[in-house]
Amino acid sequence: MAVFELPGWTALAPALILAVTGLVLFVFDSISPNSTNRSLLAGTAAGGALVSLAVAVWFTFAGVGTPTVDGGLGEISILGGQLVVDQLALYFMIVVAIVTALITVASYDYLVDHTYQAEYYSLIILAATGMSLMAAANSLVTIFIALELASLPSYALVAILKDNRGSVEAGLKYFLIGALSSAIFVYGISLVYGATGHLQLENIAAVISGGDVDGYGGLLGLGILMLIGGFAFKTASVPFHFWAPEAYEGAPAPVSAFLSSASKAAGFVIAFRVFTTAFPLGETTALIGVEWTHAFIILAIVTMTVGNFAAATQDNVKRMLAYSSIGHAGYALIGLAGLTADGGEFVMGAAMMHLLVYGFMNTGAFLFVGLAERWEVGRTFEDYNGLSTQAPVACAAMAVFLFSLAGIPPFGGFFSKFFLFMGAIEASAETTAMLAVAAALVVNSALSLYYYSRLVKALWIEEPSTTRDRLAQPTGLYAAIIVAAVMTVVILPGFGPVVDTALEAATAIVG
Amino acid sequence: MEGAFSYAPAIAAFPLVAFVVALTFGKWLPKKGAIPGIAATAGSLLFSLWMLAAVASGEVYHETLYEWTAGAAASEVGTEGIDFTFGILIDPLAALMLVIVSLVAFLVHVFSLGYMNAEGETGLPRYYAGLGLFTFSMLAFVYADNLLMAFIFFELVGLCSYLLIGFWFRTRSAPSAAKKAFLVTRFGDYFFLIGVVAIAATFGTVAFAGDDSFVAAAETAINDGDTLFGFDAQTWVTITGLLVLGGVLGKSAQFPFHTWLPDAMEGPTTVSALIHAATMVAAGVYLVARMFGYYALSPTTLAIIAFVGGFTALFAATMGVVKDDIKQVLAYSTISQYGYMMLGLGVGGYVAGVFHLMNHAFFKALLFLGAGAVIILMHHEQDMWKMGGLKDKAPVTYYTFLAGALALAGIIPFSGFWSKDEILYDAMIVGLEEPVILAAYAMGLAAVFFTGFYTFRMVFLTFHGEPRSEAAEDPHSIGWAVKAPLITLGVLALVAGVANLAPVAKIVGADITFLEHWLDGEYGAVEGLTYSAYGELVAYETGVIGSEQLTVLIAAGLSLLLAFSGAGLAWKLYNVPEPVPYKDRLGTVGDAAEANYYQDEYQVWLANGLTRPVARAADRFDQTVIDGTVNGVSTASLFGSSWMKRLQTGIVTNYAALLVAGFIGLLLVLGLYGGWFL
Repeated sequence: MAVFELPGWTALAPALILAVTGLVLFVFDSISPNSTNRSLLAGTAAGGALVSLAVAVWFTFAGVGTPTVDGGLGEISILGGQLVVDQLALYFMIVVAIVTALITVASYDYLVDHTYQAEYYSLIILAATGMSLMAAANSLVTIFIALELASLPSYALVAILKDNRGSVEAGLKYFLIGALSSAIFVYGISLVYGATGHLQLENIAAVISGGDVDGYGGLLGLGILMLIGGFAFKTASVPFHFWAPEAYEGAPAPVSAFLSSASKAAGFVIAFRVFTTAFPLGETTALIGVEWTHAFIILAIVTMTVGNFAAATQDNVKRMLAYSSIGHAGYALIGLAGLTADGGEFVMGAAMMHLLVYGFMNTGAFLFVGLAERWEVGRTFEDYNGLSTQAPVACAAMAVFLFSLAGIPPFGGFFSKFFLFMGAIEASAETTAMLAVAAALVVNSALSLYYYSRLVKALWIEEPSTTRDRLAQPTGLYAAIIVAAVMTVVILPGFGPVVDTALEAATAIVG
Repeated sequence: MEGAFSYAPAIAAFPLVAFVVALTFGKWLPKKGAIPGIAATAGSLLFSLWMLAAVASGEVYHETLYEWTAGAAASEVGTEGIDFTFGILIDPLAALMLVIVSLVAFLVHVFSLGYMNAEGETGLPRYYAGLGLFTFSMLAFVYADNLLMAFIFFELVGLCSYLLIGFWFRTRSAPSAAKKAFLVTRFGDYFFLIGVVAIAATFGTVAFAGDDSFVAAAETAINDGDTLFGFDAQTWVTITGLLVLGGVLGKSAQFPFHTWLPDAMEGPTTVSALIHAATMVAAGVYLVARMFGYYALSPTTLAIIAFVGGFTALFAATMGVVKDDIKQVLAYSTISQYGYMMLGLGVGGYVAGVFHLMNHAFFKALLFLGAGAVIILMHHEQDMWKMGGLKDKAPVTYYTFLAGALALAGIIPFSGFWSKDEILYDAMIVGLEEPVILAAYAMGLAAVFFTGFYTFRMVFLTFHGEPRSEAAEDPHSIGWAVKAPLITLGVLALVAGVANLAPVAKIVGADITFLEHWLDGEYGAVEGLTYSAYGELVAYETGVIGSEQLTVLIAAGLSLLLAFSGAGLAWKLYNVPEPVPYKDRLGTVGDAAEANYYQDEYQVWLANGLTRPVARAADRFDQTVIDGTVNGVSTASLFGSSWMKRLQTGIVTNYAALLVAGFIGLLLVLGLYGGWFL
């Protein structure tokens, strides 16, 4: 045991560190908005993210959030249960911090001629703060606030290339769809509140189990469905995904990476928490007449299929990655679809592992696109032809990302996808429809290999269609890409702890 | 001797190391890998002799070294679970075979110095690496303690022979011969594999020896009258035994799978010596001896083995009569001799079969190495009609070759006589009661005549008479690396028969059948793997003509008479200064024998007329149905993809509409299902 006990609110340190970093950058921006001291700004942002990561990892190993029966320090609830720091929260804080660190390091080079440096970094870190808070939010109101805290900077980030028509247009579209989705989400919150009279998740569950909501099943069901809409927006799931291809394509590549990895993970953590804590499957089903997992089964299948099918024939690399990111949201949704009344921690743990691995491989892939944008080689598959002759290291890393995304052994993506598949098969013992989910997973993975390998082929096999000048080797971008690639590979031998952490977190929240 | 067996793995490991060394560093080594090869096989030989001595002192070794997988499935006879392991079994049979294999491999390595290095061949590291791997595989096969391990190394032996037969891969014929050897033996091994699976599934074990061996399990099942997979136990043992026999027939070149062996002469002669005497071809017969207890349970299988053996012995001998290439004659003699071994084992003559396996290893290695020496002498000419008169120019080669020839022809007192006579005697006494075996015996007996004839035809054409070409008049010189192995093997061919002078023992009543005692476990033995244990299982009745002594004399006299008349005929026709071919006088029979009885033709016809249409049909199925489905899926996917892309119009109001529509759709589905609207 620790010699001294820290006050409870310090458990939120990973998020608070990000918040402080964001404010520091904000103050800097107010004083010197046109500063181009890239090293200082990117360093501060990356430093904040890394400290947040270190603290979150330390907390995990120190046993913060681990249930006391397992020898940990217990879940820490803050502000009367409005926020909670448990294993799930720490796990996703780690994911968010990792992606943020990679992004900020890579942005150092990407933003080389950019005018508003401080603004960019403060927005990134503020959005990360929101995502980190989403991981800890334990009441519908804190969830909504954290979600908006993550979303609003994101809109601005997408539109940050102010002279670029595509960027601005994408930002506006993202904002409009986001506003609509938030409206649906907040309406859903109000319906749930109307039916149960509570916003705090445990209290909602208590009311539902207590039988005080009888007669309002339809109302509650509608509310739940609208909440799902809000999560679907954040995780870019069908049919709330329309913003994603546009926003990812228009935004600067590091921002695309950030949104598609960290933001998606944050969206999943609130979905995991809300549905496992507030709406216990058995009691809620008795009330609303249908298992809410069915909604996720439908969403998972449709999202996987739409994402992968739309990705298959894209010509634009970034757009292909955008759709593939929608497909991956579908895979992660299996984590919720596979829950059962008395279990499902395995499949949810698998989804969490997938989100972690995805944080490396997808971020890395988008950063490679960022590198290509920096080289100004063009946007289509054809423009990427033969890049490996000039930049073999980066292209090798990209091949690792793509094969891992497709789920080819021995890369990390294979294992998480494999566990998802196993989890789906296991869950099919309870819900036959999970077999369809497992089948969709296999079919879509096979299809995804087609378009991922198209890009690998372009990079490694095709001859360059035009002659290019010597390509620059920006340090920051390269470092971030290589770290991501190395992690995608070494996460395999290191998968044991990841599996344990994810499964423990899932067990704690499901059980 | 207690600790000797812990070094047993080294016997196989030495050549494996030599293989790795030759492969990686061969290019830079002084003799291109020959030295490590010689050292390794010498080491194996010494260790094998040590094992032999250990067994002679009454020890045996049966140890599982490594378990690589275990399953929980119950077998047909009800054994729970099955282990697949690597283990070593060194009993009298394995110890004897280890010595034979490592000795021949060692001599072949030494001979290669003269045959390959001195002749300036290229690719020698590859050659020595192949020899090393070959020796390793065979040694590991010999002391394998279970059927699956045996199968694995059996396959490895096949692979190595493929690599070595195709050593001169730039010629047209060698790669083709290598492929043929590989494919034909693979065809047999296919049945072997099914047999292994069947035995494992039936008895839940693949061990050769011990209480939990499949042999013991099969015996129990037969005694209990079990029904296995819908057959009674005896029939099922026959079926599985025949499946395994498929691999044996392929490897040991028995009819109808013998066609690969003559073509395999495309490899270097040293490789032929190794393949024929100690490794590839010997593996088949050795496997029958190894699991003889299993075959002994099934009289049908034994009879089939005996009949195929007898038939092959005669069949191959007649083809050997008309060949002009010295290596071709030896190739057919190999097929024929392995036929004898099969005949011996098939009539229950376990000792006789193993005895002949040993003697044959020595004299056939001798003959091939002798042929190799002749080929060096003749500046790589192999046609016997271009030779002649080498007797005086190369006396060492001549006398050692002659010793091998006398052994092959079965002339008393050379080693081949004793073992062949014992096989024929065993066949005869069983044949007196069993008509099928009598037919097999008759064929084996007839083959003795042909053997004597083709052997001495070869000797006379090669060494006697006048030189018939410039090369024969002025032969290339040969070195000690060639002569030393020849002399060693020549002595063995002369004296190896002493190991088991069964006819002498029976007539004078002296106790001099050492090999029989050896295999009967009078020194060390694993229970159940002895000659007398097998004898109790074999269900043959035996008869005698008059007394036992008289029968022995009749059998020996008959085979000697035939051997001498064959040799004598050859003497008369070919031991003249200017011999001429007599093949034309044989008419259509000669043509048929020359064409190998059209065996290749019918197999090619089978491949073309049967396999190819089936393959074509399968290909068509693959091209249309399978590929069609796959292409259809991809077309559908791409079509679906372009449709999905169209959803993304770029107009944000459309998105909002679609989003709300999608949401309402989901709401309707779940709402109706959950009854929210009531």
